[in-house]
Amino acid sequence: MTAKRGLITDSFKVVKKARRGGKQDKRPTPPPPQKAEAEIETAREEELQKLRQFDLDCRFGPCTGISRLERWERAKLHDLKPPEEIRDLLLQTSDDPEYSQSLWSEYPV
Amino acid sequence: MFSDLSAQKEGSSLLSRPASEDQGPAVFERTSLAYSPCSERYSVGERNFGRQYAHIYAARLMQMRPLLSQRAKQKWGSDVLIRKLCDMQTGEQCCIVGTLFKRMELQPSILKEISEEHNLLPQPARAKNISETDELILEDELQRIKLEGKIDKDKCVTGSVIAIYGAERNDGKFTVEDFCTADLPLQRARPALSADRFLLLASGLGLGSSRADSMLGLQLLVDMVTGQLGDLGEQSGAATISRVLLAGNLLSQSTQDKDASTKAKYLTKKTQAGSVEAIRLLDELLLQLVASVPVDVMPGQYDPTNYTLPQQPLHRCMFPLSSVYPTLQLASNPYQADIDGVRFLGTSGQNVCDIQRYSSMDSHVEILEETLRLRHLAPTAPDTLGCYPFYLKDPFILEECPHVYFSGNAPTFESKLIKGPDGQEVLLVTIPEFSSTQTACLINLRTLQCEPVSFSAFSADEDEESEMNISH
Repeated sequence: MTAKRGLITDSFKVVKKARRGGKQDKRPTPPPPQKAEAEIETAREEELQKLRQFDLDCRFGPCTGISRLERWERAKLHDLKPPEEIRDLLLQTSDDPEYSQSLWSEYPV
Repeated sequence: MFSDLSAQKEGSSLLSRPASEDQGPAVFERTSLAYSPCSERYSVGERNFGRQYAHIYAARLMQMRPLLSQRAKQKWGSDVLIRKLCDMQTGEQCCIVGTLFKRMELQPSILKEISEEHNLLPQPARAKNISETDELILEDELQRIKLEGKIDKDKCVTGSVIAIYGAERNDGKFTVEDFCTADLPLQRARPALSADRFLLLASGLGLGSSRADSMLGLQLLVDMVTGQLGDLGEQSGAATISRVLLAGNLLSQSTQDKDASTKAKYLTKKTQAGSVEAIRLLDELLLQLVASVPVDVMPGQYDPTNYTLPQQPLHRCMFPLSSVYPTLQLASNPYQADIDGVRFLGTSGQNVCDIQRYSSMDSHVEILEETLRLRHLAPTAPDTLGCYPFYLKDPFILEECPHVYFSGNAPTFESKLIKGPDGQEVLLVTIPEFSSTQTACLINLRTLQCEPVSFSAFSADEDEESEMNISH
């Protein structure tokens, strides 16, 4: 019994210390590379914003359930003149689901 | 016509003296013809059912809009104002392209049935689901508007893409003055054939039903095609039947026992599915046919393949006897093929039956013509007809005008030759259900004439009479 109690309290303490330590570590570290990252972040945000605008353009039909590229290809097939830059952007970043999937992809159908 | 052809030779009647032995048996070479299936558009590669049906409607409108704008300009002058619903002004005369939606009070709805608030009994199955209170609504990409005026709401069905001409009134409803459909697509010229060649169409064989009264007629059909019936004249006529097309419902509805889905598994573990025996019967029947003539087999509503359109071909493994012959062609539903340069297109009849249920039209051949004018095989899919959720394009839109357009499992045989605005000529054929009518039909590929062939020895009425006589 005593041995078990000891173990539990030990483990609780260790875990708490580790968590606090981890959080404290993370907070101070980000600032130095933040500038470079912030630029990447804003560029990424702009790109995603463009893609969201593409999603919301009702001329190209519904966007749920299909990938952005599939939707672009469909618009192209039906001669609706989807913007070429969207396709280039999607081809460059094809492995990132935040780019390839539509705005509503997180929602269950 | 086939009946003239096979009755030509008076001399070689069965009543005459047998031919001398040294002449040997007469051999009639079956005429063969060029055949190329073009059903690729109806094969579904990936099966992804995660999508919604919004895509198929969007793709349909995207594909049809340019066609309909062109037709509208032809009909109402090139300066006609074609608007989208969102740009339209009240009172302005304009043309709008959109998808029809008919709100029907009597349309069966699962939500209505399960709603506890109403506590309704399940709706009874009706032959027609239309009523006085139906409303016709036109939808484009963004908006919808109620329609009134010169458009027959009972004849229209949900999902058809049309162009309407008129103006919006102050109360927000649109007064239709005229409307137009996409009409027939362009047609390839039909090659001139030198000799009469026939294609036999049959549907609704209904194998495996509890009533086996169509079996005699079916065996007669097989014997007629394989040249084992009649005299030499009839046999030489049979040799000109160069292909057989079976348009769906080869098995009877009764092979789909509902017990399997409602009863517990352990109770039905040892019962064999009703379709097993029926498929074996079909295999034996096909074996007799394919040994002599090329056969196309389309699946139908009650056949063991997927339920949703386009139905994929029946699997070869179900036909161990007949599938070894290269003449057996398992086709999809809808079916499309070039036979000696004649383009055939048709379905097993689900699309037509569904439109019959949701419109005032009753004649199958009239509905066939209507779908051709709408340039869409199955407008009611996916609303009331099962359909795969396509997203890229709608494969049921006709891109090329067929020469023969058929549908299976009709109550009676009907045929009609219609002409399109650009000189198209299309033969419409409704293939009767064989199990109830004992009738198949023959199409002459040279002249595009069509005639029914009936195999019934007794009609149903006579059967009843004879039974009554026995009881007396």
